[in-house]
Order: sequence, then structure tokens, then C-alpha cells
Amino acid sequence: MNHNPQSSDGKHDDDSALSDFLASLMDYAPTIPDELVEHYLAKSGFQCPDVRLIRLVAVATQKFVAEVASDALQHCKARQAAVVKDKREKQQKVIYLCLLSFLISFGLSDPLLEQDKRLILTMDDLSKSLREYGVNVKHQEYFADSPST
Amino acid sequence: MRKSRSKRKSNIHLQQPTINPRDFQFMITKVAVSQICKSVGFRRSRVSALETLTLVATKYLETLVKSAASFSNAASRTQSNILDLTNALHDMSLQVGFMGASTLYDHNNNCLLKSSVLESLSDFVSSTNEIPFAKPIERAKERESEEVNAVPGSFQERGGHIPEWLPRFPDVGGTNENCDKRVNGEQLWENSSSVLGCQIDGFEEKRCGSNNVGKLPKGRSRIKFRVNNGGGTRVGLNGISCNNVFGQSKDEEEAEPVAVCEKSVKSEEKQILVYKRRKKR
Repeated sequence: MNHNPQSSDGKHDDDSALSDFLASLMDYAPTIPDELVEHYLAKSGFQCPDVRLIRLVAVATQKFVAEVASDALQHCKARQAAVVKDKREKQQKVIYLCLLSFLISFGLSDPLLEQDKRLILTMDDLSKSLREYGVNVKHQEYFADSPST
Repeated sequence: MRKSRSKRKSNIHLQQPTINPRDFQFMITKVAVSQICKSVGFRRSRVSALETLTLVATKYLETLVKSAASFSNAASRTQSNILDLTNALHDMSLQVGFMGASTLYDHNNNCLLKSSVLESLSDFVSSTNEIPFAKPIERAKERESEEVNAVPGSFQERGGHIPEWLPRFPDVGGTNENCDKRVNGEQLWENSSSVLGCQIDGFEEKRCGSNNVGKLPKGRSRIKFRVNNGGGTRVGLNGISCNNVFGQSKDEEEAEPVAVCEKSVKSEEKQILVYKRRKKR
């Protein structure tokens, strides 16, 4: 073992940083509840008396899902930005302004600016983002009910 | 979150009166995953996409936990600790990549606890807001409390493999305290002082422990050795016979040994035996 005083201090710092993190985990309530995580742990054979590790597993899963979802969001926004760009090039400005005034008179706002309300998680975006994480998901376009079609 | 109109019909299938346990936990996980998606920025989702994401999340959790369990089994342990979990996280994150992935198994410089995966997790915890789970979960543990009133030695206590008409096991005295501690003072990592929040470093603990090494459990008499020219009579104290070369003697010429011998006669606890070397003639 290393008897260097610096390394033992460094190890102490790491341990204290880690124990601080584990203590902060107890304050943080992960979205996946503890009972659900414990059920999956029991199903898979993970035995641990420490509650902090259960929280750690829940947080790791939450981080994974959040990353996948944010990647899908990026794909969705990129696709919509491309669509908006095409639309704006094709439309003439006059027609656009008339449409805008028409909508505002009805109390609706500009649909082109309200893209964030229409962010839908679709299989296309999800499969693109999951591919980076090593999960290959292909969604069937349609199902035919008889072989003749 | 609202489901898009095209998939609303599938809602009817979900509202069955009897639900399998597997479907039940899947639906709970779906609620949690949809909450996470909402926090990221989505407002709506397709049902198939949400179910796929839930399935992937459950498989991720199960895989993570299974590999942690197999790491601990490989180290001949049944209970997993954070090191097993860190190794499992490394395995799961290799596809995406993380800092230090190339030097994972370099024995000289690597410390598992300093891994960047754990650091990124702690950053995630500190930077993200808490999203408490939306719905209350019915606790299954309340049902088990009814079976606590078991007769000692009955089916509930011993399990079904032992017939009830056999007598109880003899009381061996429970867990022996001596069995809990290992010979060289080794302990599981999670019971170590650094994790339990104690400020004493593991290195210092050994030094503190070494103070007790010099102390004997039982007092024994002090022994002095002297080289002598003349021989003295061989006296055996307490019936202890000595070697030919080293013999005990009561030397009455010197005052010190006399006092010593007198003391040795009087005191029972500490006897200073003086060994004098006799020259061979």
C-alpha cells in the first residue's frame, strides 16, 4: 500500500466526497420510488442493506432516461427547425401577416412560434437517440391483418 | 402528459379490473418515466414510444443490478457494495463513453471511487430538481405484518422444509461475537470508518490498534539476565527448574538482589527473577 501522505489525504478526500454525495442522496428523492426499485433489485438478485445504494441505482436509471429523452428532444427540435425553415422560405410575407392577424383576432397565437407546445415523443426520435446508447429499436410502420394486403 | 389522439383507443384496454403484478409495476414505471420526459421538455408522447422507453428503462435497471450482483458473487460475497455498483456502471456506460474509460483496469493509477461516472451522477443530483413520484403507491408490506404472531419454532420461523413435530434446534447462543471480526482486522468497505462518517483515517486506525499489540492479556513476571563469575546455588522458585547455563540465584552479597528476592517472596503478582550465568568449570 502507498505510504505517501499525499495519497492517503487524497483517498480521504475522495472518501469524504463520496460519503457527502451518498448523504446528499438521502435528501434527494428520485423519481422512481424506492419500493419499485427494491422490487426490481429483488427480482435480479441484488442484495444490499444500504438504502443509499438503492437510491444510487434509482438516480442512475433516472439519469439514463433523462439523457435519452433529451437526445430525442434535440432530434425533435432539429426536425421542426428544418420544417419551419422550409415553410418560411416558401411562404410570402404578406400572406403570413394576414394569417397572423386572423389568428390573433381569434385569440390564438402564432403557430410557428409555439413549437414547444407540440413536442411529441415519437418512435422515430426515440429510436435515433437510443441507437447512440446501443439499443436498436425499429418501429413497425403498420400491421396488416391479412397476408393478401 | 396527454396521449395523442390516434392512440387514445388503447386506453380502454388498460382499464381492466384485474391486473397482473408484472403489468402493475410496468404501469408505475411508465408514470415515473413520463414524469422524467416531462421534466426534460416533452409535452406529449405516443403510447408506443412511452412504453418502449419504459421497457428500456426497466431493462437498464435490471441489467445494471444483475451485473453488480455478479461482480459481488465473483468476489465471493453475497451482498453488493458501491464498488460492485461502480464496476457495473462502468460496464453500462462503455457504449457512450466516460472519462477514464481507457485506463479502467490499470492497476497503478486507478481508484474505483474516483470514477467519473460517480462524479457525473453527483453533478446530476446537485443540478437537477427533485421530481417526486406523482401517485401514492400502495405498500405491500402492510399485508405481511399479520403473520408476525408466529409461534416460535413453528412453520413461519423455520420454513416448510422442517416438519413441525420435530423439536426446536438447540440454542447455540446466537451469533458469536468473536466470529464477526477477522484475524487481521479486515472489514467490509461499507463498515469502514471512512464511510461511516468517522474522521479517523483507515491508516491511523491501524496505529491505534497496534498499541494493544504490545500488551499481553495476562501479566507475567519480569526476567533479568546477569553474567556472573562465581556460581550460586541453584534455586528453583515456584518449582521452575532452569537451564544449566542460566541459573537463578539468590545473591546475598549485593543488596539489590536481596531486596528483589524479598520482594519476590512477598508479592505474588510481580516477581523479578534474576538469572545469572554460571561459568562452566
